[in-house]
Amino acid sequence: MPSQKAQKFKKVLSLVVEPIALGVLALLFIIPTVTVMNLSPITKKLQELNVLGANTQSTISITLVGGKHEVFTEENLNKDSDTTYSYSTKLNKRAADSYSKPAVEIKNNTDKAQKVSFYGQTLNQTQSNIRIIADEKSYKIQDDKGQTFMQEITVAPTSKVVVFLSIENLTGIQFSEEFDMQIKVVENL
Amino acid sequence: MSKLLRRALKISIVPAILLIAGKFLGILCTSIIYNLNFQISNDLNGLFSVQIYFPDASTTLFVNSISNLVMVLFVALPLAYFIIKTTLYHTVANNPRTIVKMTRFNMLKWITAKDTSFLTMFIWCAFLWIASGVTIAHTLQGSTYPWVGIVAGSLALIASLFTIKTFEIETDNIYPTEHKYY
Repeated sequence: MPSQKAQKFKKVLSLVVEPIALGVLALLFIIPTVTVMNLSPITKKLQELNVLGANTQSTISITLVGGKHEVFTEENLNKDSDTTYSYSTKLNKRAADSYSKPAVEIKNNTDKAQKVSFYGQTLNQTQSNIRIIADEKSYKIQDDKGQTFMQEITVAPTSKVVVFLSIENLTGIQFSEEFDMQIKVVENL
Repeated sequence: MSKLLRRALKISIVPAILLIAGKFLGILCTSIIYNLNFQISNDLNGLFSVQIYFPDASTTLFVNSISNLVMVLFVALPLAYFIIKTTLYHTVANNPRTIVKMTRFNMLKWITAKDTSFLTMFIWCAFLWIASGVTIAHTLQGSTYPWVGIVAGSLALIASLFTIKTFEIETDNIYPTEHKYY
């Protein structure tokens, strides 16, 4: 009887283990493929590299928030000079709706308020309204006719502001596009 | 768990590790030998966040090409060894002259059934297809030299032909052709 039980247990165990083993076998093929594709090197200026998480010596620091989003991908933030940063992202194809994502975090380390300007545009005219949202206020960057607007926000002393990038389109967009934005520390107030 | 699945799992581990190691060592060794600057940084867009950056496009192209070639060779060389071993093992059975030649070259140890099964060759060949596929995709994207893509494709094609040949030999053993055995 005990051997019969053991055999039954072995049979049930093999039924459970077999699909797991098949999954592991599939993973043994998938993981190296994805890893190898991900290991492929990319070209970027090493000195002006993505400043994700970097804290500079300047009085005001701007960093990329990062994270994953269906519409906003390939985000980059490069420091062009002490006061100028360039932000870029790929806006993927999307259904008619509005989308937003935290893009950059502005940290004012000084004891004075700082003014920061934003000026951005897409390469193609896509009938989308692009805005930035900071402190629950919305600022238009590009309207649905392609007209661009320079916007300024004020960052209070020793505080930080997370700037969201928002996009709204009334019709579905069937192609991806690049969005570039210049962020400039204007002055001490 | 079936014996076939257990064997497949056991055989797949080494080529999977070699595939990743080949690519990584290819990048690392090329960078060290040619004294190239590179940076490992975070990019949250891919499946993995770690990315390797090079300062200019020509360096990236060179490093990617060499690392792809190293990756393909890391899988292709052991597979070539299995192919030679399998060919010798099956030739010896029908041709005594091969045994004499192998004795002369002190290669009698090569005549064993170990590592000559179709499953081993098929799994290694599958990994070579993956390595070649990635290399050819990079070639089409312009991030690898065309000759590297051609070499990878040719190696995969030759390996596939030998794997099919091994499959034919093994099926011959199970279902012998009439004129040969009856």
